[in-house]
This record gives sequence, structure tokens and C-alpha cells, in this order.
Amino acid sequence: MIHLDNVTKIFPPDTAALKSATIHIEPGEFVSIVGQSGSGKTTIVRLLIAEVQPDEGSINIGGWDITKIKQRQIPILRRQIGVVFQDFKLLPKKTVFENVAFALQVSGVPKSRIQTIVPQVLHIVDLTDKAGRYPQELSGGERQRVAIARALIHRPKVLLADEPTGNLDALNTKDIIELLLKINEFGTTVVMVTHNKDIVNSLKRRVITLDRGLVAQDQKVGKYVI
Amino acid sequence: MLIHSITRGFLFALQSFWRNIWLSLATVFVVFLALVSVNFLIMINVITDSAVNAVKDRVDVSIYFKPEVKESKIAEVKTKLEGLPQVKEVIYKSPEENLAAFSERHINDQKIQETLKELSGNPMGATLVIKAKDIKDYPEIMRSLEDPAISDLIEEKNYDNNQLVIDRINLISDNIKKVMMIISLIFIIIAILIVFNTVRVAIFTHQNEISIMKLVGAGNWFIRFPLVFETILAGLLAVVALMLFLYPVLSFAQNYLTSFFAGASFDLIGYFNNNFIVIFGTEIVAVVIINSISAMVAISKYLNV
Repeated sequence: MIHLDNVTKIFPPDTAALKSATIHIEPGEFVSIVGQSGSGKTTIVRLLIAEVQPDEGSINIGGWDITKIKQRQIPILRRQIGVVFQDFKLLPKKTVFENVAFALQVSGVPKSRIQTIVPQVLHIVDLTDKAGRYPQELSGGERQRVAIARALIHRPKVLLADEPTGNLDALNTKDIIELLLKINEFGTTVVMVTHNKDIVNSLKRRVITLDRGLVAQDQKVGKYVI
Repeated sequence: MLIHSITRGFLFALQSFWRNIWLSLATVFVVFLALVSVNFLIMINVITDSAVNAVKDRVDVSIYFKPEVKESKIAEVKTKLEGLPQVKEVIYKSPEENLAAFSERHINDQKIQETLKELSGNPMGATLVIKAKDIKDYPEIMRSLEDPAISDLIEEKNYDNNQLVIDRINLISDNIKKVMMIISLIFIIIAILIVFNTVRVAIFTHQNEISIMKLVGAGNWFIRFPLVFETILAGLLAVVALMLFLYPVLSFAQNYLTSFFAGASFDLIGYFNNNFIVIFGTEIVAVVIINSISAMVAISKYLNV
């Protein structure tokens, strides 16, 4: 599903965020990528959504070599990958419904279909009664659930979650992780970048540990070891 | 699909305009101020033109005929002059009228009054007063009088005395036009820069939204179109606000100027009405073009996500 082969990314002037990283993720996996700040975790997410390009190596996602992707193909790629960010990245002047619908509108999905799908997804993330609220009227956990709903709306095969619980309290963190597990159970590959030791240890799923841009460990059923 | 996207773009633009109402109103207000300054300049141009034309209109040239020249001959000259394309008007003044006017002019001069009484007949001939369409046409009109058949009938022309004044008025008028053109150009450049920067600031506040839209998979045009339309909408509302503001100001200015310049006619409202399509049409087109280009340039900076 996701293949990074010998990927190196250097940010100017000479900060190596990733050094010859090779990671293979199979369909349906739930993978946690862990590591300290600056270890290259977020760079992997940015590479997978083509926000930045690697300096060396190749990245293949769902059979698509995104190192050779053209600028005009990037939006198409992003519509096929669900992404959840630590800071939610919700449109502040759009309601919950509109934020989720926006991900469909960019693909030209008709209004009638949007009116059917969005309530279904909002129901999954338990936000049906908050569809008309604006992001600033929601708690952190609710905002993150909106972001997850938006990421799910296309029924992506891959969901990337970059520190999805970074801004949440313990209770909301538990809710979000349960939601991600539920999404994974439906067959979506989930890649979660985190530095939350408790979550990683409780999941008992595959853990890839990064250290200063290198893949330090890759355990099938791993623990947070740094 | 295309119509669908365009409709969606319009709706997004209207929604964003309304939900960012203070930012939208601030943009409308700045574009409005820029337009007011341009229209203020148009007003100054009209007033200057009217003032210069009022002075030009007072200039005429008189041809004094010899007393023995018959009225029928003078009528022939009048008809010939009226046939010239440069001539606006020719007024005939009879010897009697000229004598009465001369006497009236020197009513306090005892010597002249006594001399006039002593004269047996009217020493004055008839006069033709010529008004040209343009002050620059007088030399050409004067040349047409050089034909010996006409020049032999003429005792005197006051053109030579007036030539200096006419030349000076021409020079001042030309200089005023040049100065107004330079001022207009400077004003227009300033107005364009103000609008350009206002739109840039408005787009800057959408910077975060643009990057989120890109990350969610929006194409460049899907992001660009509503924002460009939103800035065009702000520009169009500024033109509407300008129209609502301008006419009361024109009405006030017209009354004030007419009394200030002692009865001279300054038909500002008439000028704006007669040139309504040209003035406001040009302003609408300019606002649409400037706002679109400014928005496109500003947005392109934030699309590389």
C-alpha cells in the first residue's frame, strides 16, 4: 500500500529530516510511527501527501509513484488519502457540515450526494447534532472528529494521522484512538504519527521508531522504546 | 461539471463575503475611496474645462467697416463668414448701434460728447462681431478676410490688439490640460496601487484557508475562483456606493460653484449623466481587471502547498 524506498529528505541548509528510510506498509495495517521531535515523523506525512518532494529515493502509494507526480495531479492524490492533522486544519468560516462537505465539493460531487453522505459520516464520528456549528464553537476532541470525518468522506484506502491527539486531553485522546481503530477495522490502512507513549503501548500494533531521520526499529507488535 | 463548479464558486464567494463581512466592508471602503479620488479628479477636470471655456467664450473679434460701405455688402461678408466651419456666430451691429454704444461708453467725457454733437452725420460704420468655435481658429478666419474684395471694405480689425490675449489664453489652456493629465495619471497610479494592496491584504487573511483547501485536495482554480470573484464583488459594490455618494456631492458642488463663479455655468451633473456609461462603465471594467489581477497575483503566492 505504502512503500518508501531509501528516501532522503534534506531541508535547507543541511538538516537531514530522513536518511535513506525504507518503510513498507501493507493494506489494512495500523502503524504507529514514533520518535522524538525532529526525528522525521511529520516529514513522512508531508512526503506522502506530496507537500514536499524527497531528495533521494522513491515513494509509492497505492501503486502511484508520487516522486514523479505532476503539480496538477497533487489534488487528485490528496483526495485519495485521508489526512488528520494535530492542529485540525479546519476552515474557520465554514460549519462542521460545510467543512466535511468541502472535501467532496473539491471533487465536483453533486449537492444531492453530498447531502446524503455527509450526515452518514457525521453520524460515524458522533457529531450529527453539531453539524451547524463553527469550529471555534467546538471542543478540541470534537474538532479532531470533524477532521477525521473530512478525511473519511472519500472512503480513502489510507488515513494519515499526524499527532492526532497532540492537542487533546486524555478522555478525548481515548475517543479519537477508538475511532481510528474502528476505521481500521473497516479495512482502511491507518498510519499514525505520534509521540504519545501510552497510546502506542496500549495499541499493541506495528510500531516504526525513527531516530534522527533513520528507521531505528520496526516491530510487528511494538512498544514505544525511546 | 464546469457550470457546477462555477455556480459553487459563486456561492462560496458570496458566503465568504458575508461571513467575513468586516473584512469585506473594509475592502469595499478602500476601493470606494480610491474611486472617489478618481471621480473627484474628473470633477476638477470638468470645472477647469468649464472655467477655461467661459474665458474663451468671452473672446471675439470685431471688424469695423468703412462708413460708406453699404449694408448689403456687409450682409454678403456676414454670409461668407457664417459659411466658414470655424465660425460659431457672427453678429451684425449697425452704425447707429455703434454710435449709441460709443456715446454710452464715453458718457462722462465732455469733449467727446461735444464733438459728437458738432458732427453733422454718423461717423461710424457697421461692425461684424465674430465668435470662433475654438480660440485657435481666429488666425484662419482672419486669413479669409484678406481677400481684397473684403479687405478694401474694412477700416479696422481688433484682432491684432486681441492676438496677445488670445495666444496667452491658448497657452494657459494648453498648460492646464497638460498639468491635469499628469495629475490624473498620478492619481490613477496611486488608486491602482491602493486597490492592489488592499486586495493583497484581504487575500493574506485567507492564507491559512488556502493552505487547508490545498491539503484537502482542492485544485488551484477551485480555490482561486471564489476569492477572485469575492474581490470583484467588493469592487462592484464600491462602484455602486460611489454612484450613491457622488450625485448628492455633485449637486452640492454645482450649486456652490455656480454662486462662487457668479453665474458661470458648471453642469457637473449633466456631464456625469451624459457620460454615465463611459465614466462608470470604464470604472467597473477597471475595477474588475485590477481586482482580478491583484487577487490572482496574491493568491498564487499561497498556492504552493
